[in-house]
Amino acid sequence: MSPLSTAAEPWPENAALYQQLKEEQILLSDNASSLAVQAFLQMCNLPIRVVCRANAEYMSPSGKLPFIHVGNQVVSELGPIVQFVKAKGHSLSDGLDEVQKAEMKAYMELVNNILLTAELYLQWCDDVTVEEITHPRYGSPYPWPLNRILAYQKQWEVRRKMKAIGWAGKTLDQVLEEVDQCCQALSQRLGTQPYFFNKQPTELDALVFGHLFTILTTQLITDELSEKVKNYSNLPAFCRRIEQQFFEGHAKDSSSPAARAAHRSLLR
Amino acid sequence: MAAPMELSCWGGDWGLPSLHPESLTVMAYAKFSGAPLTVNTISNSWKAPREDIPVLISENNVISRPAKILSFLRKQKYNADYELSAKQGADTLAYIALLEEKLLPALLHTFWIDAENYCSVTKPWFASRIAFPLNLYLPGKMSREALNRILLTKGGPPLYSLTEVEAQIYRDAKECLNLLSKRLGTSQFFFGDTPTTLDAFVFGFLAPVYKVCFPRVQLQEHLKQLPNLCRFCDDILTCYFRLSVSGHSPAGQDTADANLQKLTQLVNKESNLIEKMDDNLRKSPQHPPRKLTMLKLAAGGEEGSLLNRLSP
Repeated sequence: MSPLSTAAEPWPENAALYQQLKEEQILLSDNASSLAVQAFLQMCNLPIRVVCRANAEYMSPSGKLPFIHVGNQVVSELGPIVQFVKAKGHSLSDGLDEVQKAEMKAYMELVNNILLTAELYLQWCDDVTVEEITHPRYGSPYPWPLNRILAYQKQWEVRRKMKAIGWAGKTLDQVLEEVDQCCQALSQRLGTQPYFFNKQPTELDALVFGHLFTILTTQLITDELSEKVKNYSNLPAFCRRIEQQFFEGHAKDSSSPAARAAHRSLLR
Repeated sequence: MAAPMELSCWGGDWGLPSLHPESLTVMAYAKFSGAPLTVNTISNSWKAPREDIPVLISENNVISRPAKILSFLRKQKYNADYELSAKQGADTLAYIALLEEKLLPALLHTFWIDAENYCSVTKPWFASRIAFPLNLYLPGKMSREALNRILLTKGGPPLYSLTEVEAQIYRDAKECLNLLSKRLGTSQFFFGDTPTTLDAFVFGFLAPVYKVCFPRVQLQEHLKQLPNLCRFCDDILTCYFRLSVSGHSPAGQDTADANLQKLTQLVNKESNLIEKMDDNLRKSPQHPPRKLTMLKLAAGGEEGSLLNRLSP
């Protein structure tokens, strides 16, 4: 996979993004990551179709979702996908100077560090959510007892990681407090601008949109997580703006987030 | 008047007040915000807490993580971020996340996982500060925890071996250092002329890399190529940690000052007495012994010794 051959081929028409089954299987954190990548590709004007597979997690080269299949290459996760797309000549952050690029990377780390970890904590370490939402959804394509075994295995993995980074000892309230601080930081950074940097969207906007939109439109046991985001009025407005600008054209396509928002209750 | 606050943390060496990044962050923040902390470095006693260092003890509160300690200090009105705008506060949070994600793994690796560094520097240093027999077990445990953390957060596929993971985390750390250097530019601190929380965190993470002498130092060499970050660390060490570096605690310096004042007062008193006695001698030169003995009876011991010196 030399950079030269990557750059040489143009973006094919049949590029595909793989994620888990939308209605029955996909979880909060994977949904957020997948939406972030979709938003990024829409912002770059690169066509992509979303393919849902039950075993998408095992097909991915890094075990994480989503991944894209472009030509004969497979790339997973937003960071490597951004670099891959840049090698093909499309980039959203070229207009930023060095200090702004540093800021953008810092904010992307903030979102990954806090929002993504909080979503994982809520899905896999909060017992009520685990019992009622995560286990049934995660194992739904498989017969018993495989569904329980896979779900417990994944839960053990995620809890180990939480313990290593020090989140295992946190209570749900402390986690929600961190989410609140993160949303406050994002809201203050966004201010009254349409996007985080100048008037053009960047990968940071895609990432923030992916996470916030998913939090706002996913129905969980309680609404506390989405309440934290709604406290800052410019954040839901930001999500609506990006949705209208980049996803309305695909309103007929059932994979659009707008249609998904209408079927909120199906996430249960 | 706030209740007295005590901080337990790892001690320092090589010119640093502490070797532990989180302890260093809290100490730097306390200096920046003017919070009166008494610092207890962990010694060979059994009583010192060893899990979750640094630990702040104030009245009955025991607070353990740097972020929580800093927010406790802010509630006690020791706030170094007072003049920051909302956007700068948001930037602080973002850059701290960047440090933890990109720089901390490489820092942990340099200290605890790289075999040469660990065996020749880290393990002996920490073992000398922990009581026997825990010193046989705790450094190993800290090393295993560091390795666990790195592997779980950074070590998934497509990186399959430890060397690939190491290469990736050092690349990330060098990129992070470059980003910090670009952000700092030529200003003295990250947000203007006064140090803030972000400066405390950056100092806490950079200073151990900069100062501790390891056999394998690729991160330190990269840091030395970024002169503004080196200058940043040196500035904070000389301005805020000068007393601790020279070995005196701030409390010791105060008592030294008080002693100096007392000594000055005594010298002044004695010189006043000498002047008085000169005057007396000039006024009535024929009765010096009686006058002097009268003075001796009236005054205390100091004058007595003075008179003994003066008497022929």
